[in-house]
Amino acid sequence: MPSAWLSTHLRAARPRVLAALHRAFADLDLAEDAFQEASLKALKSWNPDDLPRDPAAWLIVAGRNAGIDLFRKKRRETLSAPEDLDPIVDEADTEEALTEALDRSVYRDDILRLLFTCCHPVLRRDQQIALSLKIVAGLSVDEIARAFLVQPKAMEQRITRAKKRLSAAKLRYEEPDAKARAERFSAVANAIYLVFNEGYSASHGSQLIRTPLCLEAIRLARIMVRLFPEEPELRGLLALCLIQHSRHRARVNTSGEAVTLEFQDRSKWERRLIAEGNVLLEAALRSAAPGPFQIEAAIAATHTRAAIYDDTDWTELDRLYRALEIIRPSPVVSLNRAVVIAKLKGPEEALQLLEKLAVPLERYASYHAATAALLADLEQYPKARAAYEAAIRHAGTDVERQHIQSKLDALAH
Amino acid sequence: MLFSVLIYANEDFMDAITPEEHADIMKHHRAFHEHTKGAKTFAAATKLMSTGTAVTINKESDDYLVTDGPFAETKEQFMGFYMIDCPSLEEAIDTVKLLPLEHGRVEIRPVEYFEGADFKNAERLVIDAS
Repeated sequence: MPSAWLSTHLRAARPRVLAALHRAFADLDLAEDAFQEASLKALKSWNPDDLPRDPAAWLIVAGRNAGIDLFRKKRRETLSAPEDLDPIVDEADTEEALTEALDRSVYRDDILRLLFTCCHPVLRRDQQIALSLKIVAGLSVDEIARAFLVQPKAMEQRITRAKKRLSAAKLRYEEPDAKARAERFSAVANAIYLVFNEGYSASHGSQLIRTPLCLEAIRLARIMVRLFPEEPELRGLLALCLIQHSRHRARVNTSGEAVTLEFQDRSKWERRLIAEGNVLLEAALRSAAPGPFQIEAAIAATHTRAAIYDDTDWTELDRLYRALEIIRPSPVVSLNRAVVIAKLKGPEEALQLLEKLAVPLERYASYHAATAALLADLEQYPKARAAYEAAIRHAGTDVERQHIQSKLDALAH
Repeated sequence: MLFSVLIYANEDFMDAITPEEHADIMKHHRAFHEHTKGAKTFAAATKLMSTGTAVTINKESDDYLVTDGPFAETKEQFMGFYMIDCPSLEEAIDTVKLLPLEHGRVEIRPVEYFEGADFKNAERLVIDAS
Protein backbone atom coordinates (compact mmCIF):
# COMPACT_ATOMS: atom_id res chain seq x y z
CA MET A 1 0.00 0.00 0.00
CA PRO A 2 1.46 3.38 -0.95
CA SER A 3 2.18 5.69 1.97
CA ALA A 4 -0.50 8.07 0.65
CA TRP A 5 -3.02 5.71 2.23
CA LEU A 6 -1.51 6.41 5.63
CA SER A 7 -2.24 10.10 5.31
CA THR A 8 -5.80 9.23 4.33
CA HIS A 9 -6.09 7.14 7.49
CA LEU A 10 -4.87 10.12 9.48
CA ARG A 11 -7.35 12.42 7.76
CA ALA A 12 -10.19 9.96 8.35
CA ALA A 13 -9.35 9.54 12.05
CA ARG A 14 -8.73 13.21 12.68
CA PRO A 15 -12.20 14.38 13.81
CA ARG A 16 -12.54 11.60 16.36
CA VAL A 17 -8.98 11.85 17.63
CA LEU A 18 -8.96 15.62 17.92
CA ALA A 19 -12.31 15.50 19.69
CA ALA A 20 -10.91 13.11 22.31
CA LEU A 21 -7.71 15.14 22.70
CA HIS A 22 -9.70 18.33 23.00
CA ARG A 23 -11.67 16.78 25.82
CA ALA A 24 -8.47 15.63 27.54
CA PHE A 25 -6.64 18.97 27.27
CA ALA A 26 -9.44 21.53 26.86
CA ASP A 27 -7.07 23.44 24.58
CA LEU A 28 -7.33 23.50 20.80
CA ASP A 29 -3.66 24.33 20.18
CA LEU A 30 -2.41 21.61 22.48
CA ALA A 31 -4.84 19.09 20.96
CA GLU A 32 -3.66 20.01 17.44
CA ASP A 33 0.01 19.76 18.39
CA ALA A 34 -0.59 16.44 20.11
CA PHE A 35 -2.37 15.12 17.01
CA GLN A 36 0.53 16.28 14.89
CA GLU A 37 3.01 14.42 17.12
CA ALA A 38 0.85 11.30 17.10
CA SER A 39 0.61 11.45 13.31
CA LEU A 40 4.37 11.66 12.94
CA LYS A 41 4.73 8.67 15.24
CA ALA A 42 2.15 6.78 13.19
CA LEU A 43 3.92 7.54 9.91
CA LYS A 44 7.13 6.19 11.40
CA SER A 45 5.80 3.09 13.06
CA TRP A 46 2.71 1.94 11.14
CA ASN A 47 3.29 -0.94 8.83
CA PRO A 48 1.12 -0.34 5.76
CA ASP A 49 0.30 -4.05 5.57
CA ASP A 50 -0.63 -4.35 9.20
CA LEU A 51 -2.34 -1.22 10.45
CA PRO A 52 -3.65 -0.98 14.01
CA ARG A 53 -7.14 -2.45 14.15
CA ASP A 54 -8.53 0.93 15.07
CA PRO A 55 -6.22 3.71 13.88
CA ALA A 56 -8.26 6.35 15.73
CA ALA A 57 -7.83 4.58 19.09
CA TRP A 58 -4.09 4.20 18.45
CA LEU A 59 -3.79 7.89 17.63
CA ILE A 60 -5.75 8.92 20.74
CA VAL A 61 -3.36 7.00 22.99
CA ALA A 62 -0.29 8.37 21.21
CA GLY A 63 -1.76 11.87 21.12
CA ARG A 64 -2.59 11.85 24.82
CA ASN A 65 0.96 10.91 25.72
CA ALA A 66 2.44 13.40 23.27
CA GLY A 67 0.13 16.10 24.61
CA ILE A 68 1.22 15.45 28.18
CA ASP A 69 4.87 15.75 27.13
CA LEU A 70 4.15 19.00 25.33
CA PHE A 71 2.19 20.28 28.28
CA ARG A 72 5.06 19.48 30.64
CA LYS A 73 7.60 21.13 28.39
CA LYS A 74 5.50 24.27 28.27
CA ARG A 75 4.95 24.46 32.00
CA ARG A 76 8.17 22.88 33.22
CA GLU A 77 9.24 25.85 35.31
CA THR A 78 5.97 26.71 36.94
CA LEU A 79 3.64 23.77 37.00
CA SER A 80 3.67 20.04 36.81
CA ALA A 81 1.07 18.14 34.83
CA PRO A 82 -2.17 17.51 36.63
CA GLU A 83 -2.41 14.03 38.06
CA ASP A 84 -5.18 12.92 35.76
CA LEU A 85 -2.87 13.51 32.82
CA ASP A 86 -0.44 10.75 33.73
CA PRO A 87 0.96 9.13 30.64
CA ILE A 88 -0.51 5.84 29.62
CA VAL A 89 2.22 3.26 29.96
CA ASP A 90 0.95 0.03 28.51
CA GLU A 91 -0.18 1.21 25.11
CA ALA A 92 -1.42 -2.14 23.82
CA ASP A 93 -3.78 -2.66 26.75
CA THR A 94 -5.09 0.85 26.70
CA GLU A 95 -5.64 0.79 22.98
CA GLU A 96 -7.90 -2.19 23.45
CA ALA A 97 -9.76 -0.50 26.29
CA LEU A 98 -10.12 2.64 24.22
CA THR A 99 -11.34 0.64 21.26
CA GLU A 100 -14.07 -0.75 23.47
CA ALA A 101 -14.88 2.69 24.80
CA LEU A 102 -15.08 4.07 21.28
CA ASP A 103 -17.42 1.27 20.34
CA ARG A 104 -19.66 2.29 23.18
CA SER A 105 -19.89 5.66 21.51
CA VAL A 106 -18.58 7.82 24.32
CA TYR A 107 -16.82 9.84 21.65
CA ARG A 108 -20.04 11.20 20.21
CA ASP A 109 -20.33 14.06 22.62
CA ASP A 110 -16.62 14.80 22.16
CA ILE A 111 -17.14 15.40 18.46
CA LEU A 112 -20.23 17.47 19.03
CA ARG A 113 -18.33 19.54 21.57
CA LEU A 114 -15.31 20.01 19.29
CA LEU A 115 -17.44 21.10 16.36
CA PHE A 116 -19.52 23.34 18.57
CA THR A 117 -16.32 24.98 19.83
CA CYS A 118 -15.18 25.61 16.26
CA CYS A 119 -18.46 27.27 15.35
CA HIS A 120 -19.20 28.86 18.69
CA PRO A 121 -21.53 31.88 18.52
CA VAL A 122 -18.76 34.15 19.85
CA LEU A 123 -16.98 33.63 16.50
CA ARG A 124 -17.71 35.44 13.25
CA ARG A 125 -18.99 33.29 10.39
CA ASP A 126 -15.74 33.40 8.44
CA GLN A 127 -13.91 32.36 11.61
CA GLN A 128 -16.32 29.48 12.14
CA ILE A 129 -15.72 28.19 8.61
CA ALA A 130 -11.96 28.56 8.87
CA LEU A 131 -11.73 26.84 12.26
CA SER A 132 -14.02 23.95 11.27
CA LEU A 133 -11.95 23.32 8.16
CA LYS A 134 -8.64 23.64 9.98
CA ILE A 135 -9.35 21.78 13.20
CA VAL A 136 -11.97 19.19 12.29
CA ALA A 137 -11.46 18.55 8.58
CA GLY A 138 -7.69 19.00 8.89
CA LEU A 139 -7.14 21.24 5.89
CA SER A 140 -3.88 23.14 5.96
CA VAL A 141 -3.83 26.91 6.34
CA ASP A 142 -2.60 27.13 2.74
CA GLU A 143 -5.49 25.03 1.47
CA ILE A 144 -8.05 27.11 3.33
CA ALA A 145 -6.41 30.34 2.21
CA ARG A 146 -6.54 29.12 -1.39
CA ALA A 147 -10.21 28.25 -1.06
CA PHE A 148 -10.98 31.75 0.19
CA LEU A 149 -8.53 33.49 -2.16
CA VAL A 150 -6.65 35.19 0.63
CA GLN A 151 -2.96 35.12 1.49
CA PRO A 152 -1.94 32.26 3.79
CA LYS A 153 -0.69 34.83 6.27
CA ALA A 154 -4.08 36.50 6.43
CA MET A 155 -5.79 33.14 6.95
CA GLU A 156 -3.28 32.25 9.66
CA GLN A 157 -4.19 35.49 11.43
CA ARG A 158 -7.90 34.80 11.05
CA ILE A 159 -7.46 31.41 12.71
CA THR A 160 -5.21 32.77 15.46
CA ARG A 161 -7.70 35.52 16.25
CA ALA A 162 -10.54 33.02 16.32
CA LYS A 163 -8.64 30.86 18.81
CA LYS A 164 -7.87 33.93 20.94
CA ARG A 165 -11.51 34.88 20.94
CA LEU A 166 -12.40 31.37 22.11
CA SER A 167 -9.85 31.48 24.95
CA ALA A 168 -11.08 34.92 25.97
CA ALA A 169 -14.64 33.63 26.09
CA LYS A 170 -13.56 31.00 28.65
CA LEU A 171 -16.04 28.44 27.37
CA ARG A 172 -17.31 25.98 29.89
CA TYR A 173 -18.43 22.58 28.84
CA GLU A 174 -21.06 21.36 31.20
CA GLU A 175 -23.11 18.44 30.04
CA PRO A 176 -25.69 20.15 27.86
CA ASP A 177 -29.36 19.79 28.70
CA ALA A 178 -31.79 19.00 25.90
CA LYS A 179 -32.20 22.64 24.91
CA ALA A 180 -28.46 23.35 24.90
CA ARG A 181 -27.87 20.18 22.91
CA ALA A 182 -30.40 21.26 20.31
CA GLU A 183 -28.63 24.65 20.08
CA ARG A 184 -25.30 22.91 19.55
CA PHE A 185 -26.72 20.75 16.78
CA SER A 186 -28.20 23.79 15.15
CA ALA A 187 -24.94 25.76 15.35
CA VAL A 188 -22.94 22.82 13.99
CA ALA A 189 -25.37 22.20 11.13
CA ASN A 190 -25.29 25.89 10.24
CA ALA A 191 -21.49 25.96 10.22
CA ILE A 192 -21.27 22.88 8.00
CA TYR A 193 -23.75 24.48 5.64
CA LEU A 194 -21.69 27.68 5.59
CA VAL A 195 -18.72 25.61 4.43
CA PHE A 196 -20.86 23.90 1.80
CA ASN A 197 -22.37 27.13 0.58
CA GLU A 198 -19.00 28.82 0.31
CA GLY A 199 -18.12 26.02 -2.11
CA TYR A 200 -21.51 25.83 -3.83
CA SER A 201 -21.76 29.52 -4.65
CA ALA A 202 -18.42 31.05 -3.95
CA SER A 203 -18.97 34.55 -2.63
CA HIS A 204 -16.11 36.03 -4.59
CA GLY A 205 -13.41 35.23 -7.12
CA SER A 206 -13.38 33.83 -10.62
CA GLN A 207 -14.95 30.40 -10.06
CA LEU A 208 -18.58 29.67 -9.29
CA ILE A 209 -18.08 26.33 -7.55
CA ARG A 210 -15.24 25.24 -5.30
CA THR A 211 -15.73 21.52 -5.19
CA PRO A 212 -13.23 20.75 -2.39
CA LEU A 213 -15.23 22.86 0.06
CA CYS A 214 -18.48 21.13 -0.95
CA LEU A 215 -16.87 17.73 -0.48
CA GLU A 216 -15.41 18.63 2.93
CA ALA A 217 -18.82 19.85 4.09
CA ILE A 218 -20.43 16.64 2.87
CA ARG A 219 -17.77 14.59 4.68
CA LEU A 220 -18.40 16.48 7.94
CA ALA A 221 -22.16 16.14 7.53
CA ARG A 222 -21.78 12.39 6.92
CA ILE A 223 -19.74 12.00 10.11
CA MET A 224 -22.40 13.85 12.09
CA VAL A 225 -25.27 11.85 10.56
CA ARG A 226 -23.52 8.58 11.37
CA LEU A 227 -22.97 9.66 14.96
CA PHE A 228 -26.42 11.17 15.44
CA PRO A 229 -28.80 9.43 13.02
CA GLU A 230 -31.72 10.39 15.26
CA GLU A 231 -31.24 14.13 14.59
CA PRO A 232 -33.50 14.85 11.62
CA GLU A 233 -31.95 18.24 10.90
CA LEU A 234 -28.53 16.67 10.41
CA ARG A 235 -30.01 14.24 7.91
CA GLY A 236 -31.82 17.18 6.31
CA LEU A 237 -28.53 19.06 6.07
CA LEU A 238 -26.76 16.12 4.42
CA ALA A 239 -29.71 15.58 2.06
CA LEU A 240 -29.61 19.25 1.08
CA CYS A 241 -25.85 19.21 0.45
CA LEU A 242 -26.03 16.00 -1.60
CA ILE A 243 -28.91 17.16 -3.77
CA GLN A 244 -27.37 20.59 -4.38
CA HIS A 245 -24.01 19.02 -5.15
CA SER A 246 -25.61 16.50 -7.54
CA ARG A 247 -26.03 19.33 -10.03
CA HIS A 248 -22.45 20.57 -9.97
CA ARG A 249 -21.58 19.31 -13.45
CA ALA A 250 -24.65 20.95 -14.96
CA ARG A 251 -24.28 24.31 -13.21
CA VAL A 252 -21.29 25.49 -15.20
CA ASN A 253 -20.90 25.08 -18.96
CA THR A 254 -17.71 24.21 -20.80
CA SER A 255 -16.68 27.87 -21.00
CA GLY A 256 -17.07 28.23 -17.23
CA GLU A 257 -20.31 30.20 -17.38
CA ALA A 258 -23.10 29.68 -14.86
CA VAL A 259 -26.13 27.74 -16.08
CA THR A 260 -29.34 28.32 -14.13
CA LEU A 261 -31.72 25.51 -13.18
CA GLU A 262 -33.96 26.32 -16.11
CA PHE A 263 -31.28 25.65 -18.71
CA GLN A 264 -29.33 22.85 -17.05
CA ASP A 265 -28.83 19.55 -18.84
CA ARG A 266 -30.61 17.37 -16.30
CA SER A 267 -28.92 14.23 -17.60
CA LYS A 268 -25.74 15.61 -16.02
CA TRP A 269 -27.28 15.57 -12.56
CA GLU A 270 -25.79 12.79 -10.44
CA ARG A 271 -28.71 10.48 -9.77
CA ARG A 272 -26.74 8.55 -7.14
CA LEU A 273 -26.47 11.64 -4.92
CA ILE A 274 -30.08 12.60 -5.56
CA ALA A 275 -31.26 9.11 -4.56
CA GLU A 276 -29.25 9.24 -1.34
CA GLY A 277 -30.48 12.77 -0.58
CA ASN A 278 -34.08 11.77 -1.14
CA VAL A 279 -33.95 8.73 1.11
CA LEU A 280 -32.16 10.70 3.86
CA LEU A 281 -34.87 13.34 3.65
CA GLU A 282 -37.63 10.76 3.81
CA ALA A 283 -36.00 9.15 6.86
CA ALA A 284 -35.64 12.58 8.50
CA LEU A 285 -39.25 13.56 7.86
CA ARG A 286 -40.47 10.38 9.57
CA SER A 287 -39.63 11.87 12.95
CA ALA A 288 -42.12 14.70 12.35
CA ALA A 289 -39.73 17.35 13.68
CA PRO A 290 -39.40 19.67 10.70
CA GLY A 291 -36.61 22.22 10.55
CA PRO A 292 -35.12 24.59 8.02
CA PHE A 293 -32.64 22.11 6.56
CA GLN A 294 -35.32 19.49 6.00
CA ILE A 295 -37.50 22.06 4.25
CA GLU A 296 -34.63 23.32 2.11
CA ALA A 297 -33.79 19.73 1.22
CA ALA A 298 -37.44 19.16 0.30
CA ILE A 299 -37.27 22.21 -1.98
CA ALA A 300 -34.14 20.87 -3.66
CA ALA A 301 -35.74 17.42 -3.92
CA THR A 302 -38.86 18.90 -5.55
CA HIS A 303 -36.68 20.25 -8.36
CA THR A 304 -35.08 16.84 -8.88
CA ARG A 305 -38.47 15.25 -9.45
CA ALA A 306 -39.14 17.35 -12.56
CA ALA A 307 -37.80 15.66 -15.70
CA ILE A 308 -37.81 19.06 -17.41
CA TYR A 309 -37.98 22.59 -15.99
CA ASP A 310 -41.55 23.12 -17.21
CA ASP A 311 -42.68 20.12 -15.14
CA THR A 312 -41.54 21.77 -11.89
CA ASP A 313 -44.17 21.48 -9.14
CA TRP A 314 -44.46 25.21 -8.33
CA THR A 315 -47.44 24.68 -6.01
CA GLU A 316 -45.39 22.36 -3.82
CA LEU A 317 -42.48 24.83 -3.90
CA ASP A 318 -44.79 27.67 -2.82
CA ARG A 319 -46.00 25.52 0.06
CA LEU A 320 -42.42 24.73 1.14
CA TYR A 321 -41.19 28.32 0.86
CA ARG A 322 -44.17 29.48 2.90
CA ALA A 323 -43.21 26.94 5.59
CA LEU A 324 -39.65 28.23 5.48
CA GLU A 325 -40.88 31.83 5.76
CA ILE A 326 -42.57 30.84 9.01
CA ILE A 327 -39.87 28.63 10.50
CA ARG A 328 -36.84 30.70 9.46
CA PRO A 329 -37.92 33.93 7.82
CA SER A 330 -35.38 35.83 5.76
CA PRO A 331 -35.54 38.23 2.81
CA VAL A 332 -33.73 35.65 0.63
CA VAL A 333 -36.42 33.05 1.35
CA SER A 334 -39.08 35.61 0.43
CA LEU A 335 -37.16 36.40 -2.77
CA ASN A 336 -37.22 32.73 -3.73
CA ARG A 337 -40.88 32.51 -2.95
CA ALA A 338 -41.57 35.55 -5.13
CA VAL A 339 -39.89 33.76 -8.05
CA VAL A 340 -42.22 30.80 -7.46
CA ILE A 341 -45.23 33.15 -7.27
CA ALA A 342 -44.22 34.55 -10.66
CA LYS A 343 -44.62 31.04 -12.10
CA LEU A 344 -47.94 30.45 -10.35
CA LYS A 345 -49.61 33.86 -10.60
CA GLY A 346 -47.60 35.95 -13.01
CA PRO A 347 -44.93 38.66 -12.85
CA GLU A 348 -47.11 41.50 -11.50
CA GLU A 349 -47.89 39.71 -8.26
CA ALA A 350 -44.28 38.62 -7.86
CA LEU A 351 -43.01 42.17 -8.38
CA GLN A 352 -45.31 43.37 -5.61
CA LEU A 353 -43.65 40.89 -3.25
CA LEU A 354 -40.20 41.93 -4.46
CA GLU A 355 -40.86 45.63 -3.80
CA LYS A 356 -41.14 44.87 -0.09
CA LEU A 357 -37.65 43.34 -0.19
CA ALA A 358 -35.95 46.26 -1.93
CA VAL A 359 -34.32 47.62 1.21
CA PRO A 360 -32.99 44.44 2.86
CA LEU A 361 -31.79 42.98 -0.46
CA GLU A 362 -30.47 46.21 -1.95
CA ARG A 363 -26.93 44.80 -2.23
CA TYR A 364 -27.94 41.30 -3.29
CA ALA A 365 -27.30 40.59 -6.98
CA SER A 366 -29.89 37.83 -7.28
CA TYR A 367 -32.60 40.21 -6.08
CA HIS A 368 -31.89 42.67 -8.88
CA ALA A 369 -31.53 39.91 -11.46
CA ALA A 370 -34.89 38.38 -10.47
CA THR A 371 -36.56 41.80 -10.59
CA ALA A 372 -34.99 42.46 -14.00
CA ALA A 373 -36.25 39.17 -15.44
CA LEU A 374 -39.82 39.89 -14.29
CA LEU A 375 -39.69 43.45 -15.65
CA ALA A 376 -38.47 42.04 -18.97
CA ASP A 377 -41.42 39.62 -18.98
CA LEU A 378 -43.66 42.68 -18.63
CA GLU A 379 -41.73 44.34 -21.48
CA GLN A 380 -40.58 47.17 -19.20
CA TYR A 381 -37.17 47.14 -20.81
CA PRO A 382 -35.55 50.34 -19.51
CA LYS A 383 -36.40 49.36 -15.92
CA ALA A 384 -35.23 45.81 -16.58
CA ARG A 385 -31.93 47.10 -17.94
CA ALA A 386 -31.40 49.28 -14.87
CA ALA A 387 -32.10 46.30 -12.61
CA TYR A 388 -29.62 44.09 -14.48
CA GLU A 389 -27.02 46.83 -14.19
CA ALA A 390 -27.62 46.94 -10.43
CA ALA A 391 -27.23 43.16 -10.35
CA ILE A 392 -23.88 43.36 -12.14
CA ARG A 393 -22.67 45.98 -9.65
CA HIS A 394 -23.39 43.64 -6.74
CA ALA A 395 -22.25 40.35 -8.29
CA GLY A 396 -19.47 38.71 -6.28
CA THR A 397 -17.86 36.42 -8.82
CA ASP A 398 -16.77 36.88 -12.44
CA VAL A 399 -18.97 33.95 -13.45
CA GLU A 400 -22.02 35.60 -11.91
CA ARG A 401 -21.17 38.93 -13.53
CA GLN A 402 -20.80 37.34 -16.97
CA HIS A 403 -24.05 35.47 -16.50
CA ILE A 404 -26.00 38.63 -15.72
CA GLN A 405 -24.22 40.51 -18.50
CA SER A 406 -25.41 37.90 -21.00
CA LYS A 407 -28.99 38.39 -19.78
CA LEU A 408 -28.59 42.13 -20.18
CA ASP A 409 -27.16 41.67 -23.68
CA ALA A 410 -30.11 39.46 -24.57
CA LEU A 411 -32.47 42.37 -23.84
CA ALA A 412 -32.57 43.52 -27.42
CA HIS A 413 -34.67 46.56 -26.58
CA MET B 1 -22.03 -23.15 -5.81
CA LEU B 2 -23.21 -19.59 -5.27
CA PHE B 3 -20.97 -17.58 -2.94
CA SER B 4 -21.67 -14.19 -1.45
CA VAL B 5 -18.67 -11.90 -1.08
CA LEU B 6 -19.41 -9.53 1.79
CA ILE B 7 -17.39 -6.34 1.94
CA TYR B 8 -16.76 -4.43 5.16
CA ALA B 9 -14.86 -1.15 5.48
CA ASN B 10 -14.53 1.87 7.73
CA GLU B 11 -16.84 4.59 6.41
CA ASP B 12 -14.81 7.43 7.92
CA PHE B 13 -11.90 6.11 5.89
CA MET B 14 -13.90 5.65 2.71
CA ASP B 15 -15.18 9.23 3.03
CA ALA B 16 -11.63 10.54 3.37
CA ILE B 17 -10.04 8.85 0.36
CA THR B 18 -8.66 11.03 -2.41
CA PRO B 19 -9.94 10.84 -6.01
CA GLU B 20 -6.74 8.97 -6.97
CA GLU B 21 -7.28 6.40 -4.22
CA HIS B 22 -10.89 6.05 -5.29
CA ALA B 23 -9.75 5.42 -8.85
CA ASP B 24 -7.35 2.77 -7.59
CA ILE B 25 -10.11 0.99 -5.67
CA MET B 26 -12.42 1.11 -8.68
CA LYS B 27 -9.66 -0.36 -10.84
CA HIS B 28 -9.74 -3.47 -8.66
CA HIS B 29 -13.52 -3.67 -8.78
CA ARG B 30 -13.48 -3.33 -12.56
CA ALA B 31 -10.95 -6.16 -12.76
CA PHE B 32 -13.26 -8.25 -10.57
CA HIS B 33 -16.21 -7.48 -12.84
CA GLU B 34 -14.28 -8.23 -16.00
CA HIS B 35 -12.90 -11.47 -14.65
CA THR B 36 -16.17 -12.82 -13.30
CA LYS B 37 -18.18 -11.74 -16.32
CA GLY B 38 -15.57 -13.26 -18.63
CA ALA B 39 -15.53 -16.51 -16.66
CA LYS B 40 -19.35 -16.43 -16.41
CA THR B 41 -19.17 -16.60 -12.63
CA PHE B 42 -20.70 -13.16 -12.06
CA ALA B 43 -24.14 -13.27 -10.44
CA ALA B 44 -24.82 -9.93 -8.72
CA ALA B 45 -23.21 -6.73 -7.43
CA THR B 46 -24.64 -4.47 -4.74
CA LYS B 47 -23.17 -1.32 -3.23
CA LEU B 48 -25.02 -0.03 -0.18
CA MET B 49 -25.53 3.64 0.66
CA SER B 50 -23.87 5.08 3.77
CA THR B 51 -25.13 3.74 7.12
CA GLY B 52 -26.35 7.30 7.71
CA THR B 53 -29.31 6.43 5.48
CA ALA B 54 -30.22 3.31 7.48
CA VAL B 55 -33.24 2.72 9.68
CA THR B 56 -33.75 -0.36 11.82
CA ILE B 57 -37.13 -1.93 12.38
CA ASN B 58 -38.10 -3.91 15.48
CA LYS B 59 -41.29 -5.44 16.69
CA GLU B 60 -42.25 -4.96 20.31
CA SER B 61 -45.35 -6.92 21.18
CA ASP B 62 -47.70 -5.65 18.47
CA ASP B 63 -45.92 -2.40 17.71
CA TYR B 64 -43.39 -1.78 15.00
CA LEU B 65 -40.58 0.43 16.14
CA VAL B 66 -38.48 2.13 13.49
CA THR B 67 -35.26 3.58 14.88
CA ASP B 68 -32.78 5.73 12.98
CA GLY B 69 -29.39 4.35 12.15
CA PRO B 70 -27.94 0.92 11.45
CA PHE B 71 -28.62 -2.16 13.56
CA ALA B 72 -25.07 -2.37 14.92
CA GLU B 73 -22.46 0.29 15.53
CA THR B 74 -19.14 -1.12 14.48
CA LYS B 75 -15.82 0.27 13.38
CA GLU B 76 -16.22 -1.40 10.02
CA GLN B 77 -19.52 -1.25 8.27
CA PHE B 78 -21.13 -3.54 5.75
CA MET B 79 -20.63 -1.75 2.43
CA GLY B 80 -22.03 -4.14 -0.13
CA PHE B 81 -21.65 -7.55 -1.65
CA TYR B 82 -21.03 -9.54 -4.77
CA MET B 83 -22.47 -12.91 -5.65
CA ILE B 84 -20.35 -15.24 -7.71
CA ASP B 85 -21.17 -18.67 -9.04
CA CYS B 86 -17.98 -20.72 -8.68
CA PRO B 87 -17.39 -24.46 -8.81
CA SER B 88 -15.39 -24.45 -5.59
CA LEU B 89 -14.54 -22.38 -2.54
CA GLU B 90 -10.96 -22.37 -3.77
CA GLU B 91 -11.94 -20.62 -6.98
CA ALA B 92 -14.11 -18.17 -5.04
CA ILE B 93 -11.11 -17.31 -2.84
CA ASP B 94 -8.90 -16.84 -5.90
CA THR B 95 -11.49 -14.56 -7.49
CA VAL B 96 -11.84 -12.46 -4.37
CA LYS B 97 -8.09 -11.80 -4.42
CA LEU B 98 -8.84 -9.36 -7.27
CA LEU B 99 -10.68 -7.04 -4.87
CA PRO B 100 -8.94 -4.19 -3.02
CA LEU B 101 -8.42 -6.17 0.18
CA GLU B 102 -6.16 -3.62 1.89
CA HIS B 103 -8.97 -1.32 2.94
CA GLY B 104 -11.30 -3.49 4.94
CA ARG B 105 -12.41 -7.05 5.35
CA VAL B 106 -14.03 -9.37 2.88
CA GLU B 107 -15.98 -12.40 3.98
CA ILE B 108 -16.99 -15.25 1.69
CA ARG B 109 -20.24 -16.94 2.67
CA PRO B 110 -21.82 -19.69 0.57
CA VAL B 111 -25.39 -18.95 -0.45
CA GLU B 112 -28.11 -21.39 0.50
CA TYR B 113 -30.91 -19.82 -1.53
CA PHE B 114 -31.05 -16.95 -3.97
CA GLU B 115 -33.67 -15.53 -6.27
CA GLY B 116 -33.33 -12.46 -8.47
CA ALA B 117 -35.83 -9.66 -8.92
CA ASP B 118 -36.82 -6.93 -11.31
CA PHE B 119 -36.29 -3.43 -9.99
CA LYS B 120 -38.70 -0.59 -10.48
CA ASN B 121 -37.21 2.04 -8.19
CA ALA B 122 -33.52 1.30 -8.05
CA GLU B 123 -30.81 3.42 -9.57
CA ARG B 124 -28.64 1.39 -11.89
CA LEU B 125 -25.19 0.88 -10.43
CA VAL B 126 -22.56 2.11 -12.84
CA ILE B 127 -19.17 0.68 -12.06
CA ASP B 128 -17.42 3.38 -14.09
CA ALA B 129 -19.02 6.30 -12.24
CA SER B 130 -16.37 8.59 -10.87
